[in-house]
Amino acid sequence: MINDKEKLLEVKNLKVEFGKRNKKFVAINDVSFNIYKGETFGLVGESGSGKTTIGRAIIRINPAASGEIIYKGKKISGKIDAELDKELTRKIQMIFQDPMASLNERAKVDYIVSEGLYNLKNYGSEENRKKLVEEALSEVGLLPEFASRFPHEFSGGQRQRIGIARVLVMEPELVIADEPISALDVSIRAQVINLLADLQKQKGLTYLFIAHDLSVVRFISDRIAVIHKGKIVELAETEKLFDNPLHPYTKSLLSAIPTPNPRVERNKKIEIYDPKKSHFDYDQYPPHWVEFEPEHFILANERELEGYKLK
Amino acid sequence: MTSKKIINNMADNIDPSLFEFADYDQSKGELTGYSNYSFWRSTVQVFMKNKVAVALLVLIACVVLFTLVQPYLPGQKSPTQIYNNPETNLQFRNVQPNNEFWFGTNSIGQDLWARIWSGTRTSLFIGVAVGLFEAVVGITIGALWGYVRKLDAIITEIYNVWDNIPTTVVLIILTYIMKPSIPTIIFAMCMTGWLQMARFVRNLIIIIRDREYNLASRCLGTPTSRIITKNLLPYLVSVIMLRMALAIPAAIGNEVFLSYIGMGLPVDIPSLGNLINEGRALMMDPSQRYQLFFPAAVISVVTISFYVIGNVFADSADPRNHV
Amino acid sequence: MAQKTIEEIINSEVILSVEDLVIKFNLRGKELTAIRGASLDLHKGESLAIVGESGSGKSVFNKSFMGLLDANGRIESGSIIYKGQDLSKYKTEDEWIKIRGKEIAMVFQDPMTSLNPLKTVGKQVQESIELHQNLKGEEAKKLAIEILNDVGITEPERRYKQYPHEFSGGMRQRVVIAIAVACNPNILICDEPTTALDVTIQAQILQLLKNLQDKYDLTIIYITHDLGVVANVADRIAVMYAGDIIELGSSEEVFFDPKHPYTWALLSSLPQLGIKGEALYSIKGTPPNLFKEIKGDAFAPRNPHALKIDFVERPPYFEVSPTHKARTWLLDSRSPKVEPPLLIKKMQEMGAKRGDIID
Repeated sequence: MINDKEKLLEVKNLKVEFGKRNKKFVAINDVSFNIYKGETFGLVGESGSGKTTIGRAIIRINPAASGEIIYKGKKISGKIDAELDKELTRKIQMIFQDPMASLNERAKVDYIVSEGLYNLKNYGSEENRKKLVEEALSEVGLLPEFASRFPHEFSGGQRQRIGIARVLVMEPELVIADEPISALDVSIRAQVINLLADLQKQKGLTYLFIAHDLSVVRFISDRIAVIHKGKIVELAETEKLFDNPLHPYTKSLLSAIPTPNPRVERNKKIEIYDPKKSHFDYDQYPPHWVEFEPEHFILANERELEGYKLK
Repeated sequence: MTSKKIINNMADNIDPSLFEFADYDQSKGELTGYSNYSFWRSTVQVFMKNKVAVALLVLIACVVLFTLVQPYLPGQKSPTQIYNNPETNLQFRNVQPNNEFWFGTNSIGQDLWARIWSGTRTSLFIGVAVGLFEAVVGITIGALWGYVRKLDAIITEIYNVWDNIPTTVVLIILTYIMKPSIPTIIFAMCMTGWLQMARFVRNLIIIIRDREYNLASRCLGTPTSRIITKNLLPYLVSVIMLRMALAIPAAIGNEVFLSYIGMGLPVDIPSLGNLINEGRALMMDPSQRYQLFFPAAVISVVTISFYVIGNVFADSADPRNHV
Repeated sequence: MAQKTIEEIINSEVILSVEDLVIKFNLRGKELTAIRGASLDLHKGESLAIVGESGSGKSVFNKSFMGLLDANGRIESGSIIYKGQDLSKYKTEDEWIKIRGKEIAMVFQDPMTSLNPLKTVGKQVQESIELHQNLKGEEAKKLAIEILNDVGITEPERRYKQYPHEFSGGMRQRVVIAIAVACNPNILICDEPTTALDVTIQAQILQLLKNLQDKYDLTIIYITHDLGVVANVADRIAVMYAGDIIELGSSEEVFFDPKHPYTWALLSSLPQLGIKGEALYSIKGTPPNLFKEIKGDAFAPRNPHALKIDFVERPPYFEVSPTHKARTWLLDSRSPKVEPPLLIKKMQEMGAKRGDIID
């Protein structure tokens, strides 16, 4: 789109590893991308692809083995000082997948929502804190009196909104939403998607939206990155990616999207992705992360790029 | 198909004015569930439903209360004084229970009734003291051990070394080195007891520490101490309570054991251990069995009560059992 | 593979007939009505999808066909007729053993929990054959390898000797399906068979089930909340809400001409149909509490089109076509005309273009 967009987050050659010494497992291998301020950046991949790990590396739960994560020009991976740490805690927040598991069952909604405030100690008086909690609850469409209740009294959709309220009180800039709707019922999903979209408009939030469901990601993302086995294989603006997918893995994912239309579904042909067959000799000519067209990145080697250009 | 007709006929009789739009109230859809839930109130409610546990709780409360007030009641004898028969001026040895000595006397003429309550008082004191210490130290160390990854290796090593020395040996050595007394025995038991508690808490914490709600707290910048007290320990209340309830009778049992092998309290301090030890010596004589029977009865009642109460409380503190 | 027409399905024999089934659970002294008088005819050879959210009772409904209700649950009234027998009257495990596997088999959501991690995959398939098909030893083994091959496991002889943990998620689900098929059942119930799988694998498993249906002459019930799966596999669709089937029709009818406001809402809220930058259609509120007695239409409190009668009287089934019925007062001739939401109209238009393929 436009090149003068402000980069909020830059991820450069990020590598994340688990395990120790000889039992090392590389979860994320040499991944680079930028997130612009105000956009929704979709990160799509199958289970085990490493999409959650990227989100957790950005929020500093999983340490980066190498590479850099830069937020507003400041390096936030590796060792950082306490002040920056506090600032980041506030500005980068996360919404979790399973609302049944992500709320502390033994704490009242009031504590859950104000947990971040207690940590920042920035709310002034106790009355003001209560007011902030009430505001956050009503912003997510919950009644203020819910503050005195425990999470188990709420349905999945309501619990997920409590999870969003606790993020909102922090007044974050970047929100990492890790599969925020995949554990919800179909009828509840739309509520949460709408809420996230509204909040983005009102507060100018930037989202990193992690999901496995391409139809959801297509609906809410401005740009989409497709991740496969720890590597991002393609990154483009949403409609561009859907109109002109290049990487065989992206094609396979797109071909498998379920459609609520029996006529389409019955005639669906799925493209199977087999790394051995789909790629040209990666052992000899390893692939690189290249900007194929402006804002359209792909993981490919020279030979493949030529093929893409011909199309 | 006939059933459908009937429904349709019934439907024909409906007031046609009902076929209008109803007022739609959005907020009604949000009102679900039940409110005014309180963890502790629900816990008490569920506990109260178990009549046996409530009865035992009352019983234990009475026993504890009685041991405390017993010395101040009128007509009580001293637990340590040796009573002589004024007629013969000989000691009241092995007197069967009667009006004067309600539980009889022991082999040197001490009043068993007074000794049993005094002994219960001592043993309960030891039990509660050890139980509390185990809970406080065990939970603190266990929580740090389980949650703070950096401490894991160190504490595990300490645990391995410490745990490989048999508890009995530690108890014996400590009581041997130090002068036999109540503080000594409490100290000896505390030295070994916290270990199991700490490991128990650690294992529980490792199971729940990486759950999403704890990650969420970390993302919000919650300090470790508050994650432990607010996120982790409340989940473990029921199991920890059970362990604590069991630690008390276990400490009493340990004291009995130590006294039994002669490493416990000096004989001049009545405790359930000493009493049972004395009673054991006379067990073979049927007429003297009351001397074992009474202390054994008390220790059984105390142990069983704590066990049942602890179990029932643990169940009732589990929110899954709250409606 | 030729899709059966809806007429062929409706005219084929009824293999399982459920009538006015009421299932209740006792939960901590309270009574929960999980199924509130649901009726359903299952026709031989069809694929029926039961769609519903969590708590709609779709799993409980199907478990009752196999006697797998939890101990605190019971069939209060109604009947489940299979081969002239009323399964709802079955009490003992001995009676159910004759039904489970041999007549009705089930595939669960998570393949790992339904496989025995300590036995080889082949052995587990073979056991199921030995138990239900009166074959022993080498013969059973031969058939087991054949079935493994049928469910798309390559090199079945080698894989026969492997353990479940050596298989990927999709392959495990194939094994689970092989075990179910090895019982040689008439009816196969698939409870969210692909929810735990990735999209590309999901499509393969669905294709497999369709192929097996032809080869083994199966009648399949799919239980799912995923309308994409439903569109792919179902001949007929039953929509469940709060323990009742509120709409039943052919796949085309339910997708292209739904009648119940809940079905409208369910379809409209799909992001695939949403327009970017605009709000998605969303259903407000949460499903009803089944501990309470439900009066009238269970969906009424969340339905912006609710009529007064929806709060008073439970709607009967209204017939839309011989194959399509829905429980909503909106279909009563006395009701005011309510236009379906915009997105549903779009679906109707798509449906009107017969034979078209829309992408």
